[in-house]
Amino acid sequence: MTTILVVEDLPDNAELADRVLSSQGYEVLKAADAETGLQMAVERQPDLILVDLGLPDVDGQTLVGWMRRMPEFARTPILAWTAWPEETAAKMVKAYGCNGYIRKPLTSIPQFMAQIAAYLR
Amino acid sequence: MKITPATKASLGANPQFQLVPANRFTIEELTRAYNQTRVDYMVPMPMNVIRLTEYIHVYDVDLNYSLVALSSDQILGLGMLGIRPGRTWITRLGVLPVKRRQGVGRALMDMLLANSETLRAQVTTLEVIKNNIPAYNLFVRTGFKDVGELLVLRRPPGPPPHAPSGEPCWIERAEALALLERRRVPQSWITETGSLSNADDILGLTLDLADGSRGWLVFQQQKFRMFSVSLSRLILHTEQGDTLRLGRGLLAHLHQRYPSLDTHTENISFDDPHLPAFFEMGYLESFRRIEMYRQGAHNHRG
Repeated sequence: MTTILVVEDLPDNAELADRVLSSQGYEVLKAADAETGLQMAVERQPDLILVDLGLPDVDGQTLVGWMRRMPEFARTPILAWTAWPEETAAKMVKAYGCNGYIRKPLTSIPQFMAQIAAYLR
Repeated sequence: MKITPATKASLGANPQFQLVPANRFTIEELTRAYNQTRVDYMVPMPMNVIRLTEYIHVYDVDLNYSLVALSSDQILGLGMLGIRPGRTWITRLGVLPVKRRQGVGRALMDMLLANSETLRAQVTTLEVIKNNIPAYNLFVRTGFKDVGELLVLRRPPGPPPHAPSGEPCWIERAEALALLERRRVPQSWITETGSLSNADDILGLTLDLADGSRGWLVFQQQKFRMFSVSLSRLILHTEQGDTLRLGRGLLAHLHQRYPSLDTHTENISFDDPHLPAFFEMGYLESFRRIEMYRQGAHNHRG
Protein backbone atom coordinates (compact mmCIF):
# COMPACT_ATOMS: atom_id res chain seq x y z
CA MET A 1 0.00 0.00 0.00
CA THR A 2 1.29 3.47 -0.85
CA THR A 3 2.09 5.38 2.31
CA ILE A 4 1.89 9.16 2.71
CA LEU A 5 3.29 10.99 5.71
CA VAL A 6 1.47 14.22 6.58
CA VAL A 7 3.46 16.53 8.87
CA GLU A 8 0.94 19.14 10.00
CA ASP A 9 0.37 20.67 13.44
CA LEU A 10 -3.23 21.78 12.90
CA PRO A 11 -5.51 18.85 13.73
CA ASP A 12 -8.27 19.98 11.35
CA ASN A 13 -5.90 20.12 8.39
CA ALA A 14 -4.26 16.81 9.28
CA GLU A 15 -7.65 15.18 9.66
CA LEU A 16 -8.85 16.54 6.33
CA ALA A 17 -5.78 15.23 4.53
CA ASP A 18 -6.16 11.88 6.29
CA ARG A 19 -9.79 11.47 5.28
CA VAL A 20 -9.25 12.51 1.68
CA LEU A 21 -6.13 10.41 1.14
CA SER A 22 -7.44 7.37 3.03
CA SER A 23 -10.58 7.41 0.90
CA GLN A 24 -8.35 6.93 -2.15
CA GLY A 25 -6.65 3.90 -0.65
CA TYR A 26 -3.47 5.49 0.67
CA GLU A 27 -2.12 4.65 4.08
CA VAL A 28 -1.75 7.94 5.95
CA LEU A 29 0.74 8.62 8.74
CA LYS A 30 0.34 11.81 10.73
CA ALA A 31 2.89 13.81 12.70
CA ALA A 32 2.18 17.10 14.48
CA ASP A 33 5.73 18.43 14.62
CA ALA A 34 9.02 18.17 12.77
CA GLU A 35 10.75 15.90 15.24
CA THR A 36 7.94 13.34 15.20
CA GLY A 37 7.74 13.67 11.44
CA LEU A 38 11.40 12.94 10.96
CA GLN A 39 11.27 9.97 13.31
CA MET A 40 8.19 8.57 11.56
CA ALA A 41 9.78 9.07 8.15
CA VAL A 42 12.90 7.16 9.18
CA GLU A 43 10.88 4.32 10.69
CA ARG A 44 8.22 3.96 8.01
CA GLN A 45 9.92 5.18 4.79
CA PRO A 46 6.78 6.74 3.25
CA ASP A 47 6.32 7.00 -0.49
CA LEU A 48 5.46 10.71 -0.31
CA ILE A 49 5.78 13.36 2.40
CA LEU A 50 3.49 16.37 2.74
CA VAL A 51 5.01 19.03 5.01
CA ASP A 52 3.35 22.08 6.49
CA LEU A 53 5.91 24.91 6.41
CA GLY A 54 4.77 26.32 9.76
CA LEU A 55 5.55 23.75 12.44
CA PRO A 56 5.84 24.44 16.16
CA ASP A 57 9.31 23.01 16.92
CA VAL A 58 11.34 23.79 13.80
CA ASP A 59 9.78 25.04 10.61
CA GLY A 60 8.99 22.97 7.54
CA GLN A 61 11.95 24.24 5.50
CA THR A 62 14.33 23.05 8.18
CA LEU A 63 12.65 19.64 8.29
CA VAL A 64 12.82 19.27 4.51
CA GLY A 65 16.49 20.30 4.63
CA TRP A 66 17.20 17.58 7.19
CA MET A 67 15.40 14.97 5.14
CA ARG A 68 17.15 15.90 1.92
CA ARG A 69 20.52 15.42 3.54
CA MET A 70 19.59 11.82 4.42
CA PRO A 71 20.29 9.38 1.54
CA GLU A 72 17.07 7.43 2.16
CA PHE A 73 14.98 10.51 1.32
CA ALA A 74 16.99 11.75 -1.63
CA ARG A 75 14.35 10.55 -4.09
CA THR A 76 11.22 10.66 -1.94
CA PRO A 77 8.71 13.21 -3.24
CA ILE A 78 8.34 15.95 -0.62
CA LEU A 79 5.61 18.52 -1.07
CA ALA A 80 5.22 21.68 0.97
CA TRP A 81 1.73 22.47 2.20
CA THR A 82 1.47 26.17 2.75
CA ALA A 83 -0.67 29.30 2.78
CA TRP A 84 2.26 31.45 1.74
CA PRO A 85 1.82 33.63 -1.34
CA GLU A 86 2.60 31.78 -4.58
CA GLU A 87 5.83 33.62 -5.28
CA THR A 88 7.26 33.06 -1.80
CA ALA A 89 6.14 29.44 -1.72
CA ALA A 90 7.67 28.74 -5.13
CA LYS A 91 11.10 30.13 -4.28
CA MET A 92 11.18 28.57 -0.80
CA VAL A 93 10.29 25.06 -1.95
CA LYS A 94 12.84 25.22 -4.73
CA ALA A 95 15.58 26.48 -2.40
CA TYR A 96 14.89 23.81 0.22
CA GLY A 97 14.53 20.84 -2.09
CA CYS A 98 10.79 20.21 -2.18
CA ASN A 99 9.39 18.70 -5.35
CA GLY A 100 6.48 21.12 -5.30
CA TYR A 101 3.83 22.67 -3.09
CA ILE A 102 0.14 22.49 -2.42
CA ARG A 103 -1.70 25.64 -1.44
CA LYS A 104 -3.77 26.03 1.70
CA PRO A 105 -6.64 26.04 2.19
CA LEU A 106 -7.67 23.07 0.07
CA THR A 107 -10.32 24.41 -2.25
CA SER A 108 -10.55 21.47 -4.63
CA ILE A 109 -10.24 17.88 -3.44
CA PRO A 110 -9.93 16.47 -7.01
CA GLN A 111 -7.10 18.90 -7.73
CA PHE A 112 -5.38 17.95 -4.46
CA MET A 113 -5.68 14.26 -5.33
CA ALA A 114 -4.36 14.87 -8.82
CA GLN A 115 -1.32 16.69 -7.46
CA ILE A 116 -0.55 13.89 -5.02
CA ALA A 117 -1.00 11.23 -7.70
CA ALA A 118 1.26 13.13 -10.10
CA TYR A 119 4.15 13.15 -7.64
CA LEU A 120 3.71 9.45 -6.89
CA ARG A 121 4.12 8.40 -10.53
CA MET B 1 0.07 36.75 40.96
CA LYS B 2 0.15 40.50 40.37
CA ILE B 3 -2.90 42.23 38.97
CA THR B 4 -2.08 45.68 37.69
CA PRO B 5 -4.52 48.48 38.57
CA ALA B 6 -5.46 48.86 34.94
CA THR B 7 -6.12 45.17 34.51
CA LYS B 8 -8.07 45.00 37.75
CA ALA B 9 -10.33 47.80 36.58
CA SER B 10 -11.17 45.89 33.46
CA LEU B 11 -12.21 42.64 35.06
CA GLY B 12 -15.84 42.16 34.36
CA ALA B 13 -16.01 45.44 32.43
CA ASN B 14 -17.24 43.74 29.26
CA PRO B 15 -20.21 41.40 29.58
CA GLN B 16 -18.92 39.25 26.69
CA PHE B 17 -15.45 38.54 28.03
CA GLN B 18 -12.93 39.38 30.70
CA LEU B 19 -9.31 40.40 30.45
CA VAL B 20 -7.13 38.61 32.93
CA PRO B 21 -3.36 38.57 33.45
CA ALA B 22 -1.63 35.89 31.42
CA ASN B 23 0.21 34.62 34.48
CA ARG B 24 -3.00 32.88 35.55
CA PHE B 25 -2.35 30.35 32.80
CA THR B 26 0.29 27.73 32.28
CA ILE B 27 2.75 28.04 29.42
CA GLU B 28 1.04 25.00 27.88
CA GLU B 29 -2.31 26.81 27.92
CA LEU B 30 -0.81 30.00 26.51
CA THR B 31 1.00 28.08 23.78
CA ARG B 32 -2.18 26.31 22.75
CA ALA B 33 -4.17 29.56 22.79
CA TYR B 34 -1.53 31.43 20.80
CA ASN B 35 -1.43 28.72 18.14
CA GLN B 36 -5.22 28.67 17.88
CA THR B 37 -5.37 32.41 17.27
CA ARG B 38 -3.14 32.09 14.21
CA VAL B 39 -4.44 29.00 12.46
CA ASP B 40 -5.61 31.03 9.47
CA TYR B 41 -2.56 33.28 9.18
CA MET B 42 -0.60 33.22 5.94
CA VAL B 43 2.54 32.97 8.08
CA PRO B 44 1.21 31.27 11.22
CA MET B 45 4.55 30.79 13.05
CA PRO B 46 3.20 28.25 15.56
CA MET B 47 5.20 27.56 18.70
CA ASN B 48 5.65 24.76 21.16
CA VAL B 49 6.17 25.18 24.90
CA ILE B 50 9.94 25.30 24.57
CA ARG B 51 9.85 27.99 21.95
CA LEU B 52 7.30 30.16 23.74
CA THR B 53 9.27 29.87 26.98
CA GLU B 54 12.41 30.97 25.15
CA TYR B 55 10.49 33.79 23.46
CA ILE B 56 9.23 35.10 26.81
CA HIS B 57 12.76 35.02 28.22
CA VAL B 58 14.62 36.51 25.27
CA TYR B 59 12.19 39.35 24.70
CA ASP B 60 11.56 40.22 28.37
CA VAL B 61 7.87 39.43 28.11
CA ASP B 62 6.18 39.90 31.48
CA LEU B 63 3.15 37.66 31.93
CA ASN B 64 1.95 39.80 34.86
CA TYR B 65 1.24 42.58 32.39
CA SER B 66 0.31 40.37 29.44
CA LEU B 67 -3.36 39.55 28.96
CA VAL B 68 -5.77 36.81 28.07
CA ALA B 69 -9.35 37.49 26.94
CA LEU B 70 -11.58 34.93 28.57
CA SER B 71 -15.24 33.99 28.19
CA SER B 72 -16.35 31.40 30.73
CA ASP B 73 -13.43 28.99 30.44
CA GLN B 74 -12.63 29.66 26.81
CA ILE B 75 -9.61 31.72 25.81
CA LEU B 76 -10.72 34.07 23.04
CA GLY B 77 -7.43 35.81 22.47
CA LEU B 78 -4.25 37.04 24.07
CA GLY B 79 -1.63 39.74 23.88
CA MET B 80 1.81 39.88 25.46
CA LEU B 81 3.83 42.78 26.76
CA GLY B 82 7.62 43.00 26.68
CA ILE B 83 9.04 45.43 29.23
CA ARG B 84 12.38 47.24 29.19
CA PRO B 85 13.32 50.47 30.95
CA GLY B 86 11.04 53.24 29.69
CA ARG B 87 9.60 51.09 26.90
CA THR B 88 7.10 48.35 26.23
CA TRP B 89 6.53 46.07 23.25
CA ILE B 90 3.21 44.51 22.28
CA THR B 91 3.59 41.06 20.77
CA ARG B 92 1.78 37.78 20.04
CA LEU B 93 -1.54 39.61 19.89
CA GLY B 94 -4.19 37.35 18.43
CA VAL B 95 -7.86 36.47 18.59
CA LEU B 96 -9.54 33.19 17.65
CA PRO B 97 -10.79 33.45 14.06
CA VAL B 98 -14.44 32.94 15.06
CA LYS B 99 -14.23 35.59 17.79
CA ARG B 100 -12.83 38.40 15.67
CA ARG B 101 -14.68 41.67 14.95
CA GLN B 102 -16.28 41.57 18.40
CA GLY B 103 -13.99 44.04 20.15
CA VAL B 104 -11.63 41.49 21.70
CA GLY B 105 -8.51 42.73 19.91
CA ARG B 106 -9.33 46.36 20.68
CA ALA B 107 -9.93 45.57 24.36
CA LEU B 108 -6.63 43.71 24.57
CA MET B 109 -4.81 46.60 22.91
CA ASP B 110 -6.40 49.23 25.16
CA MET B 111 -5.50 47.29 28.27
CA LEU B 112 -1.94 46.53 27.13
CA LEU B 113 -1.53 50.27 26.54
CA ALA B 114 -3.03 51.01 29.96
CA ASN B 115 -0.53 48.60 31.47
CA SER B 116 2.22 50.41 29.56
CA GLU B 117 1.04 53.67 31.13
CA THR B 118 1.08 52.05 34.55
CA LEU B 119 4.68 51.08 33.84
CA ARG B 120 5.35 54.72 32.81
CA ALA B 121 6.52 53.62 29.37
CA GLN B 122 7.62 56.54 27.23
CA VAL B 123 7.11 54.59 24.06
CA THR B 124 5.37 51.36 23.02
CA THR B 125 6.38 49.53 19.86
CA LEU B 126 5.04 46.56 17.93
CA GLU B 127 5.37 44.83 14.59
CA VAL B 128 2.64 43.69 12.27
CA ILE B 129 3.00 41.38 9.28
CA LYS B 130 2.70 43.42 6.10
CA ASN B 131 -0.71 42.97 4.45
CA ASN B 132 -2.42 42.01 7.72
CA ILE B 133 -4.75 44.92 7.10
CA PRO B 134 -7.24 44.35 9.99
CA ALA B 135 -4.41 44.25 12.54
CA TYR B 136 -2.65 47.23 10.99
CA ASN B 137 -5.86 49.26 11.07
CA LEU B 138 -6.41 48.34 14.71
CA PHE B 139 -2.95 49.60 15.57
CA VAL B 140 -3.48 52.86 13.69
CA ARG B 141 -6.79 53.35 15.54
CA THR B 142 -5.01 52.85 18.84
CA GLY B 143 -2.49 55.58 18.04
CA PHE B 144 0.43 53.75 16.44
CA LYS B 145 2.47 55.22 13.61
CA ASP B 146 4.73 53.50 11.07
CA VAL B 147 8.48 53.39 11.62
CA GLY B 148 9.37 51.33 8.54
CA GLU B 149 9.46 47.89 7.02
CA LEU B 150 11.50 45.01 8.43
CA LEU B 151 12.45 41.94 6.40
CA VAL B 152 12.53 38.34 7.56
CA LEU B 153 15.10 36.41 5.52
CA ARG B 154 15.99 32.75 4.98
CA ARG B 155 18.96 31.08 3.40
CA PRO B 156 19.19 27.33 2.78
CA PRO B 157 22.42 25.56 3.74
CA GLY B 158 25.33 25.84 1.34
CA PRO B 159 28.70 27.48 0.87
CA PRO B 160 28.93 31.13 -0.18
CA PRO B 161 28.79 31.81 -3.93
CA HIS B 162 32.33 33.12 -3.94
CA ALA B 163 35.41 32.93 -1.74
CA PRO B 164 35.44 35.57 0.98
CA SER B 165 38.11 38.23 1.13
CA GLY B 166 39.99 39.48 4.18
CA GLU B 167 40.99 37.65 7.31
CA PRO B 168 38.17 37.24 9.82
CA CYS B 169 38.66 37.24 13.56
CA TRP B 170 36.10 34.97 15.26
CA ILE B 171 34.96 36.24 18.65
CA GLU B 172 33.12 34.82 21.63
CA ARG B 173 29.90 35.94 23.29
CA ALA B 174 31.16 38.69 25.60
CA GLU B 175 33.06 40.46 22.87
CA ALA B 176 30.18 40.04 20.44
CA LEU B 177 27.70 41.58 22.87
CA ALA B 178 30.10 44.47 23.52
CA LEU B 179 30.18 45.18 19.79
CA LEU B 180 26.39 45.47 19.70
CA GLU B 181 26.58 48.42 22.08
CA ARG B 182 28.38 50.41 19.40
CA ARG B 183 25.31 50.67 17.25
CA ARG B 184 23.88 54.18 17.07
CA VAL B 185 20.84 53.49 14.90
CA PRO B 186 17.64 52.64 16.87
CA GLN B 187 16.85 48.94 16.69
CA SER B 188 13.65 46.92 16.66
CA TRP B 189 12.88 45.12 19.94
CA ILE B 190 13.98 41.79 18.45
CA THR B 191 17.37 43.08 17.31
CA GLU B 192 18.12 45.20 20.38
CA THR B 193 21.15 44.32 22.46
CA GLY B 194 18.75 43.40 25.27
CA SER B 195 17.30 40.58 23.16
CA LEU B 196 20.63 39.19 22.01
CA SER B 197 22.10 39.34 25.50
CA ASN B 198 19.19 37.16 26.69
CA ALA B 199 19.80 34.61 23.91
CA ASP B 200 22.16 31.64 24.14
CA ASP B 201 25.08 30.83 21.85
CA ILE B 202 25.84 34.33 20.58
CA LEU B 203 29.08 34.59 18.62
CA GLY B 204 30.63 37.00 16.16
CA LEU B 205 33.37 37.88 13.74
CA THR B 206 35.21 41.03 12.86
CA LEU B 207 36.66 41.72 9.43
CA ASP B 208 39.20 44.13 7.97
CA LEU B 209 39.38 44.40 4.19
CA ALA B 210 42.37 45.49 2.13
CA ASP B 211 40.57 48.68 1.08
CA GLY B 212 40.30 49.78 4.71
CA SER B 213 36.68 48.72 5.20
CA ARG B 214 36.11 47.39 8.68
CA GLY B 215 33.14 45.95 10.53
CA TRP B 216 31.58 43.01 12.34
CA LEU B 217 28.84 40.44 12.32
CA VAL B 218 27.12 39.06 15.43
CA PHE B 219 24.93 35.95 15.18
CA GLN B 220 23.35 33.12 17.11
CA GLN B 221 24.21 29.49 16.49
CA GLN B 222 20.81 28.05 17.25
CA LYS B 223 20.51 24.59 18.72
CA PHE B 224 17.84 21.94 18.69
CA ARG B 225 18.31 19.00 21.06
CA MET B 226 21.93 20.13 21.58
CA PHE B 227 22.73 20.05 17.86
CA SER B 228 23.52 23.20 15.89
CA VAL B 229 20.77 23.47 13.33
CA SER B 230 20.77 27.03 12.15
CA LEU B 231 22.27 30.48 12.23
CA SER B 232 20.02 33.31 13.30
CA ARG B 233 19.83 36.84 14.76
CA LEU B 234 22.38 38.21 12.28
CA ILE B 235 23.50 41.78 13.01
CA LEU B 236 25.90 43.40 10.52
CA HIS B 237 27.68 46.62 11.21
CA THR B 238 30.17 48.64 9.18
CA GLU B 239 32.59 50.67 11.26
CA GLN B 240 34.13 52.31 8.19
CA GLY B 241 34.42 51.88 4.44
CA ASP B 242 32.36 50.13 1.80
CA THR B 243 29.19 48.75 3.40
CA LEU B 244 28.26 46.43 0.56
CA ARG B 245 31.73 44.96 0.14
CA LEU B 246 32.05 44.47 3.87
CA GLY B 247 28.59 42.88 4.09
CA ARG B 248 29.54 40.42 1.34
CA GLY B 249 32.77 39.58 3.12
CA LEU B 250 31.18 39.04 6.53
CA LEU B 251 28.40 36.84 5.17
CA ALA B 252 30.76 34.89 2.93
CA HIS B 253 33.01 34.10 5.89
CA LEU B 254 30.02 33.07 7.97
CA HIS B 255 28.67 30.66 5.36
CA GLN B 256 32.09 29.31 4.51
CA ARG B 257 32.54 28.36 8.16
CA TYR B 258 29.01 26.92 8.54
CA PRO B 259 28.07 25.59 5.08
CA SER B 260 25.71 22.94 6.42
CA LEU B 261 23.57 25.28 8.52
CA ASP B 262 20.28 26.83 7.54
CA THR B 263 19.99 30.56 8.26
CA HIS B 264 17.02 32.66 9.23
CA THR B 265 17.22 36.20 10.43
CA GLU B 266 14.55 38.67 11.41
CA ASN B 267 13.94 42.39 11.24
CA ILE B 268 16.54 43.57 8.78
CA SER B 269 15.47 47.11 8.04
CA PHE B 270 14.34 47.79 4.48
CA ASP B 271 16.95 50.55 4.28
CA ASP B 272 19.81 48.60 5.83
CA PRO B 273 22.75 49.24 3.49
CA HIS B 274 23.89 45.62 3.94
CA LEU B 275 20.64 44.24 2.51
CA PRO B 276 21.92 43.78 -1.07
CA ALA B 277 24.77 41.66 0.32
CA PHE B 278 22.22 39.29 1.89
CA PHE B 279 20.52 38.75 -1.44
CA GLU B 280 23.84 38.24 -3.22
CA MET B 281 24.61 35.50 -0.70
CA GLY B 282 21.43 33.61 -1.54
CA TYR B 283 19.02 34.93 1.10
CA LEU B 284 15.32 34.85 0.26
CA GLU B 285 12.70 37.19 1.62
CA SER B 286 10.15 35.20 3.64
CA PHE B 287 7.89 38.11 4.52
CA ARG B 288 7.88 41.69 5.78
CA ARG B 289 6.74 43.32 8.95
CA ILE B 290 5.84 46.92 9.58
CA GLU B 291 7.34 48.33 12.76
CA MET B 292 5.09 50.82 14.57
CA TYR B 293 5.45 53.04 17.63
CA ARG B 294 3.25 55.04 19.96
CA GLN B 295 4.44 57.62 22.42
CA GLY B 296 3.16 57.21 25.94
CA ALA B 297 1.78 59.92 28.21
CA HIS B 298 5.07 59.80 30.11
CA ASN B 299 7.10 60.83 27.09
CA HIS B 300 8.27 64.36 27.82
CA ARG B 301 10.50 64.70 24.81
CA GLY B 302 7.66 65.90 22.64
